[in-house]
Amino acid sequence: MAETRSLDGRAPAQRPLSPHLQIYRPMLTMMMSIVHRITGAANYFGTILLAWWINAAAGPSGYARFQWFAGSWIGRIILFGYTWSVIHHMLGGIRHLIWDSGRGFGANEREWLAAANLIGSIAITIILWVIGLLAMGGSQ
Amino acid sequence: MTAPRHIRTPLARVRGFGAARSGTDTFWHQRVTAVASVPLTIAAIVIMIMLLGRNQAAVAQILGSPLVAIIMLLFVVSITAHMRIGMQVIIEDYVHHDPLKLVLLVSNSFFAIIVGLTSVYGLLKLSFGL
Amino acid sequence: MAQLTLPKNSKITEGKTWPRPAKARATREYRIYRWNPEDGRNPRIDTYYVDTDDCGPMVLDGLIWIKNNVDATLTFRRSCREGICGSCAMNIDGTNTLACTKAMSDVKGPLRIYPLPHMAVVKDLVPDLTNFYAQHASIEPWLRTISPTPRQEWRQSHDDRQKLDGLYECILCACCSTACPSYWWNSDRFLGPAALLQAQRWLLDSRDEATGERLDNLEDPFRLYRCHTIMNCTKACPKHLNPAKAIADIKRTLVERQV
Repeated sequence: MAETRSLDGRAPAQRPLSPHLQIYRPMLTMMMSIVHRITGAANYFGTILLAWWINAAAGPSGYARFQWFAGSWIGRIILFGYTWSVIHHMLGGIRHLIWDSGRGFGANEREWLAAANLIGSIAITIILWVIGLLAMGGSQ
Repeated sequence: MTAPRHIRTPLARVRGFGAARSGTDTFWHQRVTAVASVPLTIAAIVIMIMLLGRNQAAVAQILGSPLVAIIMLLFVVSITAHMRIGMQVIIEDYVHHDPLKLVLLVSNSFFAIIVGLTSVYGLLKLSFGL
Repeated sequence: MAQLTLPKNSKITEGKTWPRPAKARATREYRIYRWNPEDGRNPRIDTYYVDTDDCGPMVLDGLIWIKNNVDATLTFRRSCREGICGSCAMNIDGTNTLACTKAMSDVKGPLRIYPLPHMAVVKDLVPDLTNFYAQHASIEPWLRTISPTPRQEWRQSHDDRQKLDGLYECILCACCSTACPSYWWNSDRFLGPAALLQAQRWLLDSRDEATGERLDNLEDPFRLYRCHTIMNCTKACPKHLNPAKAIADIKRTLVERQV
Protein backbone atom coordinates (compact mmCIF):
# COMPACT_ATOMS: atom_id res chain seq x y z
CA MET A 1 0.00 0.00 0.00
CA ALA A 2 1.09 3.52 -0.64
CA GLU A 3 2.41 5.49 2.26
CA THR A 4 -0.31 7.68 3.70
CA ARG A 5 -0.04 10.67 6.01
CA SER A 6 -2.23 11.27 8.99
CA LEU A 7 -4.56 14.22 8.58
CA ASP A 8 -2.76 16.43 11.08
CA GLY A 9 0.53 15.93 9.25
CA ARG A 10 2.24 13.79 11.86
CA ALA A 11 4.34 10.75 11.05
CA PRO A 12 2.46 8.42 8.73
CA ALA A 13 0.50 5.76 10.50
CA GLN A 14 1.25 2.35 9.02
CA ARG A 15 -2.31 1.62 8.06
CA PRO A 16 -3.34 -2.03 8.22
CA LEU A 17 -4.90 -3.82 5.27
CA SER A 18 -8.48 -4.83 5.99
CA PRO A 19 -9.15 -8.59 5.84
CA HIS A 20 -10.49 -9.93 2.51
CA LEU A 21 -10.31 -13.62 1.54
CA GLN A 22 -10.16 -14.39 5.27
CA ILE A 23 -13.64 -12.97 5.91
CA TYR A 24 -15.53 -12.87 2.61
CA ARG A 25 -18.43 -15.31 2.49
CA PRO A 26 -17.68 -18.06 -0.04
CA MET A 27 -20.36 -17.95 -2.72
CA LEU A 28 -21.04 -20.42 -5.51
CA THR A 29 -20.22 -18.04 -8.39
CA MET A 30 -17.00 -16.87 -6.72
CA MET A 31 -15.93 -20.46 -5.99
CA MET A 32 -16.73 -21.53 -9.55
CA SER A 33 -14.61 -18.66 -10.82
CA ILE A 34 -11.56 -19.83 -8.92
CA VAL A 35 -12.25 -23.45 -9.91
CA HIS A 36 -12.35 -22.32 -13.55
CA ARG A 37 -8.90 -20.83 -13.06
CA ILE A 38 -7.55 -23.90 -11.21
CA THR A 39 -8.88 -26.32 -13.85
CA GLY A 40 -7.42 -24.08 -16.57
CA ALA A 41 -4.02 -24.24 -14.90
CA ALA A 42 -4.36 -28.02 -14.44
CA ASN A 43 -5.22 -28.44 -18.13
CA TYR A 44 -2.19 -26.32 -18.96
CA PHE A 45 0.15 -28.80 -17.31
CA GLY A 46 -2.01 -31.70 -18.45
CA THR A 47 -0.93 -30.99 -22.03
CA ILE A 48 2.40 -32.61 -21.06
CA LEU A 49 0.47 -35.90 -20.81
CA LEU A 50 -1.14 -35.22 -24.18
CA ALA A 51 2.23 -34.57 -25.84
CA TRP A 52 3.66 -37.68 -24.18
CA TRP A 53 0.78 -39.88 -25.37
CA ILE A 54 0.97 -38.60 -28.98
CA ASN A 55 4.73 -39.09 -29.18
CA ALA A 56 4.62 -42.45 -27.38
CA ALA A 57 2.34 -43.77 -30.10
CA ALA A 58 5.30 -43.84 -32.51
CA GLY A 59 6.85 -47.01 -31.06
CA PRO A 60 5.85 -50.15 -29.09
CA SER A 61 8.23 -49.71 -26.14
CA GLY A 62 7.32 -46.07 -25.62
CA TYR A 63 3.63 -46.84 -25.87
CA ALA A 64 3.99 -49.70 -23.39
CA ARG A 65 5.52 -47.25 -20.92
CA PHE A 66 2.60 -44.84 -21.39
CA GLN A 67 0.09 -47.65 -21.02
CA TRP A 68 1.80 -48.82 -17.84
CA PHE A 69 1.43 -45.30 -16.44
CA ALA A 70 -2.17 -44.92 -17.60
CA GLY A 71 -3.10 -48.28 -16.13
CA SER A 72 -1.47 -47.69 -12.74
CA TRP A 73 -3.51 -46.44 -9.80
CA ILE A 74 -1.80 -43.10 -9.68
CA GLY A 75 -2.10 -42.77 -13.46
CA ARG A 76 -5.81 -43.54 -13.35
CA ILE A 77 -6.39 -40.97 -10.62
CA ILE A 78 -4.47 -38.34 -12.57
CA LEU A 79 -6.32 -39.15 -15.80
CA PHE A 80 -9.69 -39.12 -14.04
CA GLY A 81 -8.87 -35.73 -12.54
CA TYR A 82 -7.64 -34.49 -15.91
CA THR A 83 -10.88 -35.62 -17.58
CA TRP A 84 -12.98 -33.78 -15.01
CA SER A 85 -10.73 -30.72 -15.23
CA VAL A 86 -11.07 -30.55 -19.02
CA ILE A 87 -14.84 -31.07 -18.99
CA HIS A 88 -15.33 -28.60 -16.15
CA HIS A 89 -13.23 -25.94 -17.84
CA MET A 90 -15.03 -26.51 -21.13
CA LEU A 91 -18.48 -26.10 -19.56
CA GLY A 92 -17.19 -23.12 -17.55
CA GLY A 93 -15.93 -21.64 -20.78
CA ILE A 94 -19.38 -21.97 -22.35
CA ARG A 95 -20.76 -20.19 -19.27
CA HIS A 96 -18.28 -17.38 -19.80
CA LEU A 97 -19.17 -17.15 -23.50
CA ILE A 98 -22.83 -16.75 -22.52
CA TRP A 99 -21.83 -13.90 -20.19
CA ASP A 100 -19.63 -12.35 -22.87
CA SER A 101 -22.72 -12.16 -25.07
CA GLY A 102 -24.37 -10.03 -22.37
CA ARG A 103 -26.75 -12.74 -21.18
CA GLY A 104 -27.05 -14.78 -17.98
CA PHE A 105 -26.38 -11.97 -15.49
CA GLY A 106 -29.71 -12.26 -13.66
CA ALA A 107 -29.86 -13.40 -10.04
CA ASN A 108 -31.33 -16.81 -10.89
CA GLU A 109 -29.50 -17.39 -14.16
CA ARG A 110 -26.00 -16.92 -12.77
CA GLU A 111 -26.63 -19.34 -9.90
CA TRP A 112 -28.27 -21.84 -12.21
CA LEU A 113 -25.36 -21.65 -14.67
CA ALA A 114 -22.83 -22.18 -11.89
CA ALA A 115 -24.69 -25.18 -10.47
CA ALA A 116 -25.21 -26.68 -13.95
CA ASN A 117 -21.50 -26.27 -14.64
CA LEU A 118 -20.52 -28.26 -11.54
CA ILE A 119 -23.18 -30.97 -11.77
CA GLY A 120 -22.69 -31.31 -15.54
CA SER A 121 -18.93 -31.70 -15.31
CA ILE A 122 -19.14 -34.41 -12.65
CA ALA A 123 -21.89 -36.30 -14.49
CA ILE A 124 -20.17 -36.16 -17.89
CA THR A 125 -16.84 -37.25 -16.40
CA ILE A 126 -18.42 -40.30 -14.78
CA ILE A 127 -20.30 -41.20 -17.99
CA LEU A 128 -17.11 -40.88 -20.07
CA TRP A 129 -15.21 -43.15 -17.69
CA VAL A 130 -17.96 -45.74 -17.67
CA ILE A 131 -17.92 -45.73 -21.49
CA GLY A 132 -14.13 -45.83 -21.50
CA LEU A 133 -13.84 -48.72 -19.06
CA LEU A 134 -16.52 -50.65 -20.95
CA ALA A 135 -14.66 -50.02 -24.24
CA MET A 136 -11.42 -51.26 -22.72
CA GLY A 137 -13.12 -54.31 -21.19
CA GLY A 138 -14.74 -55.08 -24.52
CA SER A 139 -11.59 -54.94 -26.59
CA GLN A 140 -9.38 -56.98 -24.29
CA MET B 1 10.05 12.72 10.40
CA THR B 2 11.61 11.87 7.06
CA ALA B 3 10.46 13.62 3.95
CA PRO B 4 8.38 11.49 1.60
CA ARG B 5 10.36 10.19 -1.36
CA HIS B 6 7.51 10.61 -3.82
CA ILE B 7 4.61 13.02 -3.80
CA ARG B 8 1.98 12.44 -6.49
CA THR B 9 -1.70 13.19 -6.56
CA PRO B 10 -4.03 10.18 -6.39
CA LEU B 11 -5.27 10.98 -9.91
CA ALA B 12 -1.70 11.02 -11.26
CA ARG B 13 -1.18 7.54 -9.81
CA VAL B 14 -4.40 6.24 -11.36
CA ARG B 15 -3.75 7.79 -14.78
CA GLY B 16 -0.19 6.48 -14.69
CA PHE B 17 1.24 5.78 -18.15
CA GLY B 18 -2.25 5.99 -19.65
CA ALA B 19 -4.20 3.17 -21.24
CA ALA B 20 -2.19 0.68 -23.30
CA ARG B 21 -4.97 0.78 -25.94
CA SER B 22 -4.64 -2.95 -26.23
CA GLY B 23 -6.11 -6.00 -24.61
CA THR B 24 -9.09 -6.37 -26.89
CA ASP B 25 -7.08 -8.57 -29.27
CA THR B 26 -6.02 -10.80 -26.38
CA PHE B 27 -9.62 -10.96 -25.17
CA TRP B 28 -10.88 -11.75 -28.67
CA HIS B 29 -8.26 -14.45 -29.38
CA GLN B 30 -9.06 -16.03 -26.01
CA ARG B 31 -12.71 -16.27 -27.07
CA VAL B 32 -12.04 -17.46 -30.62
CA THR B 33 -9.77 -20.26 -29.38
CA ALA B 34 -12.35 -21.07 -26.69
CA VAL B 35 -15.10 -21.42 -29.30
CA ALA B 36 -12.84 -23.57 -31.48
CA SER B 37 -11.72 -25.70 -28.55
CA VAL B 38 -15.23 -26.83 -27.57
CA PRO B 39 -15.99 -29.00 -30.64
CA LEU B 40 -12.32 -29.95 -31.01
CA THR B 41 -12.10 -31.15 -27.40
CA ILE B 42 -15.27 -33.20 -27.83
CA ALA B 43 -13.82 -34.72 -31.01
CA ALA B 44 -10.47 -35.41 -29.31
CA ILE B 45 -12.23 -37.16 -26.40
CA VAL B 46 -14.20 -39.32 -28.84
CA ILE B 47 -10.95 -40.23 -30.63
CA MET B 48 -9.22 -41.09 -27.35
CA ILE B 49 -12.10 -43.32 -26.24
CA MET B 50 -11.98 -45.04 -29.64
CA LEU B 51 -8.30 -45.77 -29.11
CA LEU B 52 -8.64 -47.14 -25.58
CA GLY B 53 -7.37 -50.66 -25.18
CA ARG B 54 -5.95 -50.86 -28.71
CA ASN B 55 -2.32 -51.83 -29.30
CA GLN B 56 0.38 -49.38 -30.38
CA ALA B 57 0.27 -50.27 -34.07
CA ALA B 58 -3.49 -49.62 -34.25
CA VAL B 59 -3.19 -46.39 -32.27
CA ALA B 60 -0.38 -45.15 -34.52
CA GLN B 61 -2.34 -46.00 -37.63
CA ILE B 62 -5.56 -44.32 -36.50
CA LEU B 63 -3.84 -41.24 -35.05
CA GLY B 64 -1.89 -40.88 -38.29
CA SER B 65 -4.92 -41.23 -40.57
CA PRO B 66 -5.77 -37.95 -42.32
CA LEU B 67 -9.08 -36.99 -40.69
CA VAL B 68 -8.02 -37.94 -37.15
CA ALA B 69 -4.60 -36.32 -37.52
CA ILE B 70 -6.07 -33.06 -38.81
CA ILE B 71 -8.61 -32.93 -35.99
CA MET B 72 -5.88 -33.61 -33.44
CA LEU B 73 -3.60 -30.98 -35.00
CA LEU B 74 -6.34 -28.36 -34.84
CA PHE B 75 -7.11 -29.42 -31.26
CA VAL B 76 -3.48 -29.06 -30.18
CA VAL B 77 -3.02 -25.68 -31.88
CA SER B 78 -6.29 -24.31 -30.49
CA ILE B 79 -5.75 -25.37 -26.87
CA THR B 80 -2.09 -24.35 -26.69
CA ALA B 81 -2.91 -20.90 -28.08
CA HIS B 82 -5.80 -20.64 -25.62
CA MET B 83 -3.80 -21.78 -22.61
CA ARG B 84 -0.94 -19.42 -23.35
CA ILE B 85 -3.30 -16.45 -23.02
CA GLY B 86 -4.97 -17.95 -19.95
CA MET B 87 -1.71 -18.47 -18.09
CA GLN B 88 -0.55 -15.00 -19.09
CA VAL B 89 -3.65 -13.52 -17.45
CA ILE B 90 -3.05 -15.56 -14.29
CA ILE B 91 0.57 -14.35 -14.09
CA GLU B 92 -0.48 -10.72 -14.64
CA ASP B 93 -3.10 -11.05 -11.89
CA TYR B 94 -0.77 -12.24 -9.17
CA VAL B 95 2.77 -11.16 -10.07
CA HIS B 96 3.41 -7.41 -10.09
CA HIS B 97 6.33 -5.19 -11.09
CA ASP B 98 8.86 -7.88 -10.54
CA PRO B 99 11.71 -9.39 -12.61
CA LEU B 100 9.93 -12.67 -11.86
CA LYS B 101 6.99 -11.46 -13.93
CA LEU B 102 9.09 -11.23 -17.10
CA VAL B 103 10.66 -14.63 -16.46
CA LEU B 104 7.23 -16.20 -15.98
CA LEU B 105 5.68 -14.52 -19.02
CA VAL B 106 8.52 -15.67 -21.25
CA SER B 107 8.52 -19.18 -19.75
CA ASN B 108 4.78 -19.37 -20.37
CA SER B 109 5.21 -18.63 -24.06
CA PHE B 110 8.07 -21.12 -24.32
CA PHE B 111 6.08 -23.84 -22.55
CA ALA B 112 3.02 -23.38 -24.75
CA ILE B 113 5.09 -23.40 -27.93
CA ILE B 114 7.21 -26.40 -26.87
CA VAL B 115 4.23 -28.53 -25.83
CA GLY B 116 2.30 -27.46 -28.92
CA LEU B 117 5.07 -28.14 -31.42
CA THR B 118 6.10 -31.41 -29.73
CA SER B 119 2.55 -32.67 -30.13
CA VAL B 120 2.36 -31.41 -33.72
CA TYR B 121 5.66 -33.13 -34.47
CA GLY B 122 4.36 -36.42 -33.03
CA LEU B 123 1.17 -36.24 -35.08
CA LEU B 124 2.98 -35.38 -38.33
CA LYS B 125 5.43 -38.20 -37.72
CA LEU B 126 2.55 -40.67 -37.38
CA SER B 127 0.82 -39.20 -40.44
CA PHE B 128 3.83 -39.47 -42.71
CA GLY B 129 5.01 -42.71 -41.17
CA LEU B 130 8.56 -41.46 -40.64
CA MET C 1 3.40 -10.14 -5.82
CA ALA C 2 -0.23 -9.31 -5.24
CA GLN C 3 -1.05 -8.96 -1.54
CA LEU C 4 -2.75 -12.33 -1.07
CA THR C 5 -2.27 -12.56 2.69
CA LEU C 6 -2.51 -10.06 5.52
CA PRO C 7 0.74 -8.19 6.29
CA LYS C 8 2.17 -8.50 9.79
CA ASN C 9 0.67 -5.22 11.01
CA SER C 10 -2.78 -6.26 9.76
CA LYS C 11 -3.16 -9.61 11.52
CA ILE C 12 -6.24 -9.54 13.67
CA THR C 13 -5.91 -10.17 17.39
CA GLU C 14 -8.32 -10.88 20.23
CA GLY C 15 -10.06 -7.76 21.50
CA LYS C 16 -12.18 -6.70 24.41
CA THR C 17 -15.63 -7.98 25.34
CA TRP C 18 -17.72 -5.07 26.56
CA PRO C 19 -20.30 -5.72 29.30
CA ARG C 20 -23.89 -6.57 28.40
CA PRO C 21 -26.35 -3.74 28.97
CA ALA C 22 -27.62 -4.22 32.52
CA LYS C 23 -31.38 -4.18 32.14
CA ALA C 24 -31.72 -5.39 28.55
CA ARG C 25 -34.26 -8.14 27.92
CA ALA C 26 -33.10 -8.90 24.35
CA THR C 27 -29.59 -8.32 22.94
CA ARG C 28 -27.67 -8.88 19.73
CA GLU C 29 -23.98 -9.63 19.74
CA TYR C 30 -21.79 -7.40 17.54
CA ARG C 31 -18.19 -8.45 16.78
CA ILE C 32 -16.52 -5.42 15.30
CA TYR C 33 -13.11 -4.83 13.72
CA ARG C 34 -11.22 -2.13 15.63
CA TRP C 35 -8.00 -0.38 14.79
CA ASN C 36 -6.69 2.75 16.42
CA PRO C 37 -3.87 4.56 14.59
CA GLU C 38 -2.65 6.04 17.86
CA ASP C 39 -2.09 3.03 20.11
CA GLY C 40 0.46 1.23 17.94
CA ARG C 41 -1.35 -2.11 18.28
CA ASN C 42 -2.65 -4.53 15.67
CA PRO C 43 -6.32 -4.61 14.65
CA ARG C 44 -8.58 -6.52 17.02
CA ILE C 45 -12.17 -7.74 17.27
CA ASP C 46 -14.24 -6.17 20.06
CA THR C 47 -17.48 -7.77 21.20
CA TYR C 48 -20.50 -5.63 22.13
CA TYR C 49 -24.07 -6.38 23.14
CA VAL C 50 -26.83 -4.17 21.75
CA ASP C 51 -30.12 -3.73 23.58
CA THR C 52 -32.51 -4.42 20.69
CA ASP C 53 -35.52 -3.05 22.61
CA ASP C 54 -33.79 0.32 22.81
CA CYS C 55 -32.59 0.49 19.21
CA GLY C 56 -33.81 0.50 15.60
CA PRO C 57 -33.86 -2.65 13.45
CA MET C 58 -30.92 -2.01 11.12
CA VAL C 59 -27.27 -2.92 11.59
CA LEU C 60 -26.43 0.80 11.51
CA ASP C 61 -28.91 1.45 14.34
CA GLY C 62 -26.95 -1.01 16.45
CA LEU C 63 -23.63 0.65 15.64
CA ILE C 64 -25.02 4.05 16.59
CA TRP C 65 -26.46 2.56 19.78
CA ILE C 66 -23.03 1.20 20.71
CA LYS C 67 -21.41 4.55 20.01
CA ASN C 68 -24.02 6.38 22.12
CA ASN C 69 -24.27 3.93 25.00
CA VAL C 70 -21.17 1.76 25.25
CA ASP C 71 -18.06 2.98 23.47
CA ALA C 72 -17.89 6.48 22.01
CA THR C 73 -14.54 5.71 20.33
CA LEU C 74 -16.11 3.28 17.82
CA THR C 75 -15.56 4.95 14.46
CA PHE C 76 -17.59 4.50 11.27
CA ARG C 77 -18.99 6.63 8.46
CA ARG C 78 -22.71 7.22 8.24
CA SER C 79 -25.03 9.95 7.08
CA CYS C 80 -28.43 9.48 5.43
CA ARG C 81 -29.45 6.16 7.08
CA GLU C 82 -31.63 5.38 4.07
CA GLY C 83 -29.33 3.90 1.45
CA ILE C 84 -28.70 6.94 -0.71
CA CYS C 85 -25.44 8.44 0.55
CA GLY C 86 -23.30 5.30 0.48
CA SER C 87 -21.30 6.27 3.58
CA CYS C 88 -21.95 3.25 5.79
CA ALA C 89 -20.65 0.62 3.34
CA MET C 90 -18.92 -2.17 5.26
CA ASN C 91 -18.50 -5.92 5.36
CA ILE C 92 -21.37 -7.42 7.36
CA ASP C 93 -21.75 -11.16 7.81
CA GLY C 94 -19.20 -11.83 5.06
CA THR C 95 -20.59 -9.60 2.32
CA ASN C 96 -20.27 -5.93 1.52
CA THR C 97 -23.40 -3.88 1.99
CA LEU C 98 -24.81 -0.75 3.58
CA ALA C 99 -25.27 -0.97 7.34
CA CYS C 100 -28.36 1.25 7.11
CA THR C 101 -30.32 -1.00 4.74
CA LYS C 102 -29.21 -4.32 6.23
CA ALA C 103 -31.57 -5.55 8.93
CA MET C 104 -30.08 -7.16 12.03
CA SER C 105 -32.70 -9.90 11.64
CA ASP C 106 -31.16 -10.86 8.26
CA VAL C 107 -28.05 -12.11 10.04
CA LYS C 108 -28.03 -15.30 12.09
CA GLY C 109 -25.81 -15.39 15.17
CA PRO C 110 -23.32 -12.65 16.04
CA LEU C 111 -23.01 -9.74 13.62
CA ARG C 112 -19.44 -9.81 12.32
CA ILE C 113 -18.49 -6.41 10.98
CA TYR C 114 -15.31 -5.47 9.13
CA PRO C 115 -14.27 -2.50 7.03
CA LEU C 116 -14.58 -2.90 3.23
CA PRO C 117 -12.09 -5.65 2.26
CA HIS C 118 -8.48 -5.24 1.11
CA MET C 119 -8.34 -1.51 1.81
CA ALA C 120 -6.01 0.60 3.92
CA VAL C 121 -7.81 1.26 7.21
CA VAL C 122 -7.93 4.84 8.51
CA LYS C 123 -9.61 3.85 11.78
CA ASP C 124 -11.98 1.04 12.82
CA LEU C 125 -14.57 0.67 10.03
CA VAL C 126 -13.30 3.62 7.97
CA PRO C 127 -11.29 2.65 4.87
CA ASP C 128 -9.17 5.02 2.82
CA LEU C 129 -11.18 5.61 -0.37
CA THR C 130 -8.72 8.06 -1.98
CA ASN C 131 -7.71 5.67 -4.76
CA PHE C 132 -11.32 4.61 -5.34
CA TYR C 133 -12.43 8.21 -5.83
CA ALA C 134 -9.43 9.00 -8.05
CA GLN C 135 -10.39 6.04 -10.24
CA HIS C 136 -13.89 7.43 -10.54
CA ALA C 137 -12.45 10.84 -11.48
CA SER C 138 -10.20 9.19 -14.07
CA ILE C 139 -13.14 8.06 -16.19
CA GLU C 140 -14.22 11.72 -16.42
CA PRO C 141 -17.76 11.36 -15.10
CA TRP C 142 -19.20 14.42 -16.79
CA LEU C 143 -20.62 15.31 -20.19
CA ARG C 144 -17.81 15.88 -22.69
CA THR C 145 -18.82 17.81 -25.79
CA ILE C 146 -17.27 19.68 -28.69
CA SER C 147 -20.37 21.18 -30.29
CA PRO C 148 -21.27 24.68 -29.05
CA THR C 149 -23.37 24.51 -25.89
CA PRO C 150 -27.03 24.82 -26.87
CA ARG C 151 -28.88 27.89 -25.69
CA GLN C 152 -31.22 25.87 -23.46
CA GLU C 153 -30.12 22.27 -22.94
CA TRP C 154 -28.50 19.20 -24.48
CA ARG C 155 -31.50 17.29 -25.78
CA GLN C 156 -31.98 13.58 -25.29
CA SER C 157 -34.74 11.23 -26.48
CA HIS C 158 -36.78 9.22 -24.03
CA ASP C 159 -35.32 6.01 -25.43
CA ASP C 160 -31.76 7.25 -24.99
CA ARG C 161 -32.49 8.45 -21.48
CA GLN C 162 -33.77 4.99 -20.59
CA LYS C 163 -30.40 3.48 -21.49
CA LEU C 164 -28.97 5.16 -18.39
CA ASP C 165 -31.36 3.35 -16.06
CA GLY C 166 -29.50 0.80 -13.97
CA LEU C 167 -26.29 2.84 -14.31
CA TYR C 168 -26.88 6.36 -13.05
CA GLU C 169 -28.26 5.17 -9.68
CA CYS C 170 -24.80 4.22 -8.40
CA ILE C 171 -24.05 5.92 -5.07
CA LEU C 172 -20.29 5.18 -5.10
CA CYS C 173 -20.41 3.28 -1.83
CA ALA C 174 -17.53 1.02 -3.02
CA CYS C 175 -19.30 -2.20 -1.96
CA CYS C 176 -18.81 -3.69 -5.43
CA SER C 177 -15.19 -2.77 -6.07
CA THR C 178 -14.03 -3.94 -2.66
CA ALA C 179 -15.94 -7.21 -3.09
CA CYS C 180 -13.98 -8.03 -6.23
CA PRO C 181 -10.95 -10.35 -5.83
CA SER C 182 -9.47 -8.94 -9.02
CA TYR C 183 -9.68 -5.47 -7.45
CA TRP C 184 -8.10 -6.82 -4.26
CA TRP C 185 -4.99 -7.95 -6.16
CA ASN C 186 -4.82 -5.14 -8.72
CA SER C 187 -6.49 -2.01 -7.34
CA ASP C 188 -3.48 0.04 -8.46
CA ARG C 189 -4.19 -0.72 -12.14
CA PHE C 190 -7.69 -2.22 -12.44
CA LEU C 191 -10.37 0.48 -12.30
CA GLY C 192 -12.82 -1.82 -10.52
CA PRO C 193 -16.56 -2.40 -11.04
CA ALA C 194 -17.81 0.95 -9.65
CA ALA C 195 -15.65 3.14 -11.90
CA LEU C 196 -16.34 0.86 -14.90
CA LEU C 197 -20.11 0.96 -14.33
CA GLN C 198 -19.86 4.76 -14.39
CA ALA C 199 -17.64 4.56 -17.48
CA GLN C 200 -20.43 2.65 -19.19
CA ARG C 201 -22.97 5.23 -17.96
CA TRP C 202 -21.05 7.95 -19.85
CA LEU C 203 -20.34 5.71 -22.87
CA LEU C 204 -24.09 5.20 -23.24
CA ASP C 205 -25.03 8.86 -22.83
CA SER C 206 -26.39 9.93 -26.22
CA ARG C 207 -25.37 13.57 -25.56
CA ASP C 208 -21.70 12.76 -25.01
CA GLU C 209 -19.31 13.44 -27.88
CA ALA C 210 -16.21 11.72 -26.47
CA THR C 211 -17.26 8.07 -26.72
CA GLY C 212 -14.19 7.12 -28.76
CA GLU C 213 -11.75 8.78 -26.36
CA ARG C 214 -13.54 7.18 -23.44
CA LEU C 215 -13.12 3.75 -25.04
CA ASP C 216 -9.45 4.52 -25.77
CA ASN C 217 -8.89 5.27 -22.11
CA LEU C 218 -10.50 2.02 -21.01
CA GLU C 219 -8.82 -0.25 -23.54
CA ASP C 220 -6.08 -1.65 -21.37
CA PRO C 221 -5.18 -5.14 -20.10
CA PHE C 222 -5.45 -3.87 -16.53
CA ARG C 223 -7.90 -0.97 -16.41
CA LEU C 224 -10.72 -3.02 -17.95
CA TYR C 225 -9.63 -6.56 -18.73
CA ARG C 226 -8.80 -7.59 -15.15
CA CYS C 227 -12.53 -8.26 -14.87
CA HIS C 228 -13.00 -12.04 -14.99
CA THR C 229 -16.77 -12.00 -14.38
CA ILE C 230 -16.41 -13.30 -10.83
CA MET C 231 -19.80 -11.66 -10.09
CA ASN C 232 -19.07 -10.59 -6.49
CA CYS C 233 -19.71 -6.97 -7.52
CA THR C 234 -23.23 -7.57 -8.77
CA LYS C 235 -24.07 -9.73 -5.77
CA ALA C 236 -22.84 -7.08 -3.35
CA CYS C 237 -24.47 -3.99 -4.90
CA PRO C 238 -26.95 -2.60 -2.34
CA LYS C 239 -28.71 -0.69 -5.13
CA HIS C 240 -29.22 -3.91 -7.15
CA LEU C 241 -27.23 -2.62 -10.10
CA ASN C 242 -25.22 -4.96 -12.33
CA PRO C 243 -21.59 -3.84 -12.73
CA ALA C 244 -20.57 -7.26 -14.09
CA LYS C 245 -23.00 -6.84 -16.97
CA ALA C 246 -21.95 -3.22 -17.56
CA ILE C 247 -18.32 -4.36 -17.89
CA ALA C 248 -19.28 -7.19 -20.25
CA ASP C 249 -21.11 -4.58 -22.36
CA ILE C 250 -17.98 -2.39 -22.50
CA LYS C 251 -15.88 -5.37 -23.62
CA ARG C 252 -18.42 -6.10 -26.36
CA THR C 253 -18.34 -2.48 -27.50
CA LEU C 254 -14.54 -2.65 -27.77
CA VAL C 255 -14.73 -5.82 -29.84
CA GLU C 256 -17.42 -4.26 -31.98
CA ARG C 257 -15.30 -1.25 -32.86
CA GLN C 258 -12.49 -3.37 -34.26
CA VAL C 259 -14.09 -6.56 -35.58
